[in-house]
Amino acid sequence: MFQRNLLLQADISQDWKNWINMLQATNLTKKYGNFTALNALNLTVNEGDIFCLLGANGAGKSTTINLFLNFIDPSEGKAAINGLDVTKKAKETKRLISYIPENLMLYPNLTGLENLDFFCGIGGKNHTREELEGLLKESGLQPDFINKRVNSYSKGMRQKVGIALARARDAKALLLDEPTSGLDPKASNEFSELLLEMKEKGVATLMAMHDLFRAKDTGTHIGIMREGMLIHQVAADSISLPELEKLYLEAMKPIKAAS
Amino acid sequence: MIRKIALKEFKENLREGRFTVSVVIVSVLLIMGVWLSYNYLTSVQKQHAEAKENARNVWESQDEKNPHSAAHYGTYAFKPKYPLSLIDPGVDKFSGISIFLEAHKRNEAQYMAASDQTGLARFGDLTPDFIMLFIIPLLIILTGYNAFTREIEQGTLKLLKSQGISSWKLALAKWAGIFLPVLIITTVLFVIASILLMNIKDFGELNFGVLSLMFLVYLVYYAIFINITLMISAVSKQSGISLVSLLAIWIIACLAMPKASSNLADTVYPYPSRQAFAADIDKDKKAGLDGHNPWSQAAKDFERETLEKYGVDSLSQLHFNFDGYRMQRGEEHEAQVYFKHYAELKNTFRNQSRIYQASAVASPFLPVRFLSMALARTDYSAHWDFADAAENYRLSLIDTLNMNFAINSSYGDWAYKADRSLWKNVPDFEYDSPSLGDIIDRNWTNVLILGLWFLASFAGLKILTQRYEKEIKLHQSI
Repeated sequence: MFQRNLLLQADISQDWKNWINMLQATNLTKKYGNFTALNALNLTVNEGDIFCLLGANGAGKSTTINLFLNFIDPSEGKAAINGLDVTKKAKETKRLISYIPENLMLYPNLTGLENLDFFCGIGGKNHTREELEGLLKESGLQPDFINKRVNSYSKGMRQKVGIALARARDAKALLLDEPTSGLDPKASNEFSELLLEMKEKGVATLMAMHDLFRAKDTGTHIGIMREGMLIHQVAADSISLPELEKLYLEAMKPIKAAS
Repeated sequence: MIRKIALKEFKENLREGRFTVSVVIVSVLLIMGVWLSYNYLTSVQKQHAEAKENARNVWESQDEKNPHSAAHYGTYAFKPKYPLSLIDPGVDKFSGISIFLEAHKRNEAQYMAASDQTGLARFGDLTPDFIMLFIIPLLIILTGYNAFTREIEQGTLKLLKSQGISSWKLALAKWAGIFLPVLIITTVLFVIASILLMNIKDFGELNFGVLSLMFLVYLVYYAIFINITLMISAVSKQSGISLVSLLAIWIIACLAMPKASSNLADTVYPYPSRQAFAADIDKDKKAGLDGHNPWSQAAKDFERETLEKYGVDSLSQLHFNFDGYRMQRGEEHEAQVYFKHYAELKNTFRNQSRIYQASAVASPFLPVRFLSMALARTDYSAHWDFADAAENYRLSLIDTLNMNFAINSSYGDWAYKADRSLWKNVPDFEYDSPSLGDIIDRNWTNVLILGLWFLASFAGLKILTQRYEKEIKLHQSI
């Protein structure tokens, strides 16, 4: 029905055999009654990849993220992190990931430092106060705010605590659900730079988003979803921004017009 | 992990104005309650000691008189105050503090503190047990009603769950986070009470075993309320619904069920009216030997039996005064009448207690209420125990006096007078309250029900947090 541009993983990354498949969806499907939220998704994100999922609201981007987080159970197929099925090895797989939602909410009566210390601690990664302060500074949080309660933080500042948490947890994979949505361009750019820093360290990132420019600029791979299906998957450096925009708009057209 | 979350919960609560204000209010009320109880107890204890000494002096300073006249003169048995009544005064205010002991009559305890109070007394006193039984559960509800719901409402649940923590561990940590401040408040209260009690003179020995047991009973009570609070929070979709549900549970458990079970007990097993009770006793007494009436048929029969028993022809041939002997036999008949009727009262009391215990299945308040009073020795069982001890002492006292009259005089010698040494030689009323073993033996059903409440609520929490796990999944949008 859709024109598919399914590129094999080998086409995207020539030296793929040297990389570890950190995030892998195999025939991953989620149904709510008769409604199919995600339809037989096959997806691989290797170490050092930033895979940006684009698509309209309800396309299945967040469902994909939630399935990798084991927040919801798949109807069919499997989501695996570092080769481990997230439904069978929930605890082990969660130790490998860090998650930043669209609007990262922290405990408002705790400071940024206390929140970071808490979430690191329950994730099994304990750090000294100095280390945590260093992580928050490296993640771009103004030093004045480190010991202030989170109820005085902006959204961008909370997202930076999220990045600091990913660093502190030494996450092997990042699951980001529209993390730059609502951020001003400067904060959004800072966030992208932090992602690129983590990419260099080999962190695999799966990011749901709407921003084509940011996807082209930050991502290594771009997928376009529609009605629960991954209909396009391209390497970011193999496509220009206008081509991506054209591909995206084409994909968003009503089904009759597209076919 | 659990410790980390529990400390986070505690820290968050501390920084929330609602919690801080609640804790300060409860702490102030508790300190006031302990202080007021302490002042009341020391004052009452002093009055008791003085009254007891005066009563004994009055008894011993009687002139030479016929011993049976002394039996009519009578004396008092004073109910001792126990150290833990500082924490739980129980029904002391309503049960009276002393019993007048006299020949032929078993009197009830008199001088109830409640009779000296205004109508406002029915709303309760500011005592430590009131705060521990009613107010601390409210504090638990205010602290924990949104323990789970706020994670959804403030959006922290996703990040929390992405760290790989199970809902059960989360529940245990939240449990500990609520229990910690409650433990601190309760411990401080018991430590303050212990220090005060150790410094009160002539107030009986403070039994730390009983004190520790009472402490444990209250902690189990709070653990049950924490379990219920977290259960409701885990199944509620909104904090407001959780709060309203928990307040309704508090009203039912702490206010409605005790009243309802009391009304039910009175309806199913009613006590006789005071008039009917007295009339029944009077009727039974008249059916037997009256020691003061030598012309009754019962007295004539007893006279004949005595003559036959001792093989004499006339009462003047007996080696003792038959008048004193008859007095004692009449006393024994009356004692049996009282024993029978009070046994019926006790039976009604036991039947009513069974209804209370059955009601405890619907309210954890009830077993704790009864255990607390029992351990403080301020419940109705303790009062019955004291009243029985006073009755035994009365019978022994009257027996001593009547037999002195019978042995030391001859038939018809009503002019006989015992000297003052007799009054002094009669031992004063001493009463040992039931031991801890006896108290537990009498209250094992309450202990069992409380234990079941704890286990059932803990199991309920475990089951409902699994449902919360599913609830999380339902909250995820596509």
